[in-house]
Amino acid sequence: MKKQLCLSLVASSFLLADTDIEQLKIEMNKQQLIIEKLQEKIEKLAVAKKFEAPQIETFDQSKFMPDISLILDLSYVSRSKKDDEVAHLEVPGVVHGLLGSHSDGDVTHSTYNASNGFNLNYAELALSSSVDPYFTMDAIFHLSEHGFEIEEAFVTSTALGHGLRVKGGKFLSNFGYLNEKHHHAWSFSDMPLVYESFLGLHAINEIGAQLQWTAPTSTYLMFGAEVLQGENEQMFGNNTIGNTETPITKGSQAPSLFVGYIKSSIDIDDTTILGGLSYANGSSRVDHSQEEAPSAFSGDSSLYGVDLTIKHYFDSYSFLSWQSEWLMRDMDGIEYTLDPADISVVTATANLRKKQAGIYTQLEYGINKNFSAAIRYDTIYKNDVVESGVNMNEPDSLNGYSAMIEYKTSEFAKFRLQYNRNEALYNEDAIKQKIDTIIFQANIAIGAHGAHSF
Amino acid sequence: MRFLLLLLPLSLFANLNIAVSYPYIGALTKSIGGENVETVVLANGNWDPHFVVPKPSLISKVRNADGLIMNGGQLEIGWLPPLIKKAGNPKTNVNAKTFLNLSNHISMIDKPQSVSRSGGDLHPEGNPHFNLDPNNILILANAIKEYLSTIDSKNSHVYEKNYVIFSDMWKKKIELWNEKMLSKKGVKVVQFHNILAYFNKAYKIENIATIEPLPGIPPSSKHTVDTIELIKKEQPCCILHDVYHSTKTAEFISEKTGIKIVLIPHDIGALESVEDLTSLFDYLTSAIK
Repeated sequence: MKKQLCLSLVASSFLLADTDIEQLKIEMNKQQLIIEKLQEKIEKLAVAKKFEAPQIETFDQSKFMPDISLILDLSYVSRSKKDDEVAHLEVPGVVHGLLGSHSDGDVTHSTYNASNGFNLNYAELALSSSVDPYFTMDAIFHLSEHGFEIEEAFVTSTALGHGLRVKGGKFLSNFGYLNEKHHHAWSFSDMPLVYESFLGLHAINEIGAQLQWTAPTSTYLMFGAEVLQGENEQMFGNNTIGNTETPITKGSQAPSLFVGYIKSSIDIDDTTILGGLSYANGSSRVDHSQEEAPSAFSGDSSLYGVDLTIKHYFDSYSFLSWQSEWLMRDMDGIEYTLDPADISVVTATANLRKKQAGIYTQLEYGINKNFSAAIRYDTIYKNDVVESGVNMNEPDSLNGYSAMIEYKTSEFAKFRLQYNRNEALYNEDAIKQKIDTIIFQANIAIGAHGAHSF
Repeated sequence: MRFLLLLLPLSLFANLNIAVSYPYIGALTKSIGGENVETVVLANGNWDPHFVVPKPSLISKVRNADGLIMNGGQLEIGWLPPLIKKAGNPKTNVNAKTFLNLSNHISMIDKPQSVSRSGGDLHPEGNPHFNLDPNNILILANAIKEYLSTIDSKNSHVYEKNYVIFSDMWKKKIELWNEKMLSKKGVKVVQFHNILAYFNKAYKIENIATIEPLPGIPPSSKHTVDTIELIKKEQPCCILHDVYHSTKTAEFISEKTGIKIVLIPHDIGALESVEDLTSLFDYLTSAIK
């Protein structure tokens, strides 16, 4: 190319001798154009060369990889009672074996921080991606030493418009405030007493469908309805109990759990108030046939919830948050007492009505980006258990107290020291037990950046 | 112009309600959109743009919007996705025609060679604080003009006109700021977090250190000691400190080295006197004395 340039320049110098100035000018312009064109060519070649470098695989699909994150939750627990002892304690009239782990057939259920010493609470694998222009899909798997659990796996609509959103699959119900939050989003490393006693560790975590509608108002107003299979081990259920030919109690039609709620929120300067009313109703088939005093319950249950969260932000990182929830349940049905020698034999039946209510209320102070501290009060204050018209006079002052401090090295690693005093558990001789627990928890996340919801 | 004004009441029905993540986008959108566009700003201008509280009221704002404009470059990664998800509004979904990611229009700098969280909370696409180069504001204004003209083509002449007015005004301002900053060329500064990367690049200011050891990682004593040593050696003019991080460490460094701390706004509303885009850059270009 350079040669060409030189030659044309030489040629033009020859022309200079026998042409007039006008022609010379024309020639000059022509040369100018040639030079410009050549320069353009060189530039194009240089650009082309740049883009040649990365070899892109023709069928590479790595860009379609969903967002993946893995969250590990570990804890070290020191409890004032031995594990064996704790597993036999109960919240009378409410739940058997709240703390610790218990076996149910070949499945081991254990609460978070179940054992003294080290606990691997879970490794949570979360995948999330859009499916097509109309849906997104999320899946959250809980991997523990006891096995693999699908905590959530659901599809959510994105294109309905009008503030409507449909979800289908297995998911955490949006009942109340805490129910839909994952363990790592809680302010404490255990669940509030009233939640865990009434609904168990996973709360309302069911297969089903959800419809939510956000109203077109400037104030946040959301209505939701859910139709769920209804398989909560503590409160709801529709399975036949006993053998299928001569069942103790027949199952009911599934899906059998219906949830509805309304939530609203207002801001006053940098203070946000979020409140909600929730209701759940479903059939109950609670199978306690594997326990020391075997029994079964068949009936209908309702759960009422009121939640209120007030959060004030001082700046980007510092806040004061007051979060409370009230839960009330009404279980109405028949209690079957079973023969411990042969659990297919019913030794007695009785009408059973349980009206129980409790509250948790917690105050959290986010000091800065790294530190936060919180206290919590738990209570089940109403425990009316009426069997065949006779009030069983179950204890109704079941309390818990917790405090924690939390340190984050970054958004992805959190360390928490928590103290619990539980005064809600009774032993077999109906004597109230006071249990002190110290939990050191580490919660570590890698992978995709988890965004926080309010 | 008069004629247009007369037509306005009719077009009020066609007002576009655009949700934007940050105040500067709101101001820019308002300049281009004029009377045809209402803007709803989601984040506070005086708080950390990385950490915005996803208040439920913001869900309603996104739900009721005709479109959404965001900064992008992963600045909103920690708070906007759940709002978009919960709003259930097809117009604010990321693949919608009415969704605008401004970072797509900017060639971002400081793109990390390797991405690992051991290097702090990195933005894999590069530094997302590109709104602090006044030259970029022109590019963004153009992107917003194109965006508004696409989604509301019958008013495209209005947006075109507003854009011309804005860019003429802005170009004059840029000349003033360039003149003002000419003498600051080569000045060394320290920051808390490198939010001024684009501003510094535009005016050839050299950032020699950040008070946070790595992006998103709070100051450590070792790094602070190193920074003090570096300041003594390099003699930077000042610490240009954002308004939302605590100035505690900066004050300690200032005490040890005698270096000045200057609070700098990163967006409209960050400081009381920063009420619009012009005053944002008036302030920034006066920060280094």
